[in-house]
Amino acid sequence: MNCLSAFHSLRERTITENSMVVLLQGLQGAVTTVDMRNESTARGRVVNVDAFMNVRMEEVLYRDWKGQLTQLQDLFITGRNIRYIHIPDHIDIMKTIQSQLAKIHRARNFASQGGGRKEYEKQAVVFPQLPLHKCPPPPAPP
Amino acid sequence: MVLLKNLHPPTEGVRHEQAETTAVMDGQRLGCGTLYVAETRLSWFDGSGMGFSLEYPTISLHAISRDVSAYPQEHLYVMVSGKLSDENEAEMPEKEADEEDDGDSSSSSSSGDVDDEEVITEIRFVPSDKAALESIFSAMCECQALHPDPEDEDSDNDFEGEEYDVEEAEAEHGHADIPTFYTCDEGLSALTQEGQATLERLEGMLAQSVAHQYQMAGVRTDESKAEFEDGMEVDAAAMEAGQFEDADVEH
Repeated sequence: MNCLSAFHSLRERTITENSMVVLLQGLQGAVTTVDMRNESTARGRVVNVDAFMNVRMEEVLYRDWKGQLTQLQDLFITGRNIRYIHIPDHIDIMKTIQSQLAKIHRARNFASQGGGRKEYEKQAVVFPQLPLHKCPPPPAPP
Repeated sequence: MVLLKNLHPPTEGVRHEQAETTAVMDGQRLGCGTLYVAETRLSWFDGSGMGFSLEYPTISLHAISRDVSAYPQEHLYVMVSGKLSDENEAEMPEKEADEEDDGDSSSSSSSGDVDDEEVITEIRFVPSDKAALESIFSAMCECQALHPDPEDEDSDNDFEGEEYDVEEAEAEHGHADIPTFYTCDEGLSALTQEGQATLERLEGMLAQSVAHQYQMAGVRTDESKAEFEDGMEVDAAAMEAGQFEDADVEH
């Protein structure tokens, strides 16, 4: 079950809606590996990812750059130091993104259901490594 | 190893304070003192007022270690980028000869071992009250989130103070508007302080390029005109004055 992370600021929500971080937030509860820029890796369960890509994990097997293994109960990695976050194979990326965005909109517009939300979902196009923009839907394949 | 003297523990924004906490830096035990998790920085002081502080942007990660096979005591592990001597403005006393090593082989000093570019300091905070580790950890997570990376190159992140509501925008403009584009007049008033500074710098560069006929090709640089780091000097004689005058102001 994914929990919608609490947004501490409007800025965080806007960042999340407009970048791939929204995908990472859909990984909450999943077990995955985070590769850090200093060549160490951490494998564990994702507890939370915030708008700045800070990752909080639990029950982590941490391998430092020398190859030494340590078990850590809780781990918080600063977004700046992350090189890769592995997306588990069982995660459907598009569905995760759409579901996360839908949660954001539901949380924001709980008074008015429907309306712009469907249009927004159609317009959200995913480009790897690029922030999401509101684009018209891609042309239908031939 | 660096110890700062005459520093005071933070008084404001202290999310968590933990007394009876031993600090171990790169395998070296600094003594027993009090850990302060404050919103501005993380600091630790022993009873005599000596201690050190860490800026959150320098902290790569922090963790709770309960793995006694890796380190004999449950503790909070903090990885700091860089050596403290690089960041602290205070003087750096020589390493004390009688400072005993705690004999921990698993936390071997990593100075210079990682790679030539990044030096890492490993700090362990060992509280006498192990049950407090969760609170310390959580407090640090919250404080860390208050210090996002200022060098984040994703420029679209700068949406401070402006809510972009899709439905609202559609109602106003009749179509989904991209919030980052403005007409000239609207744009000037919507500029953030940083945007204003950038605009002034770019306009200054354009003015100078016309006056001195140097082509900067829109490259943002803080260097003076005399320095071309990439060696790309262009024959300025080919430039026409006023080349950029019809350029649109884009944000």
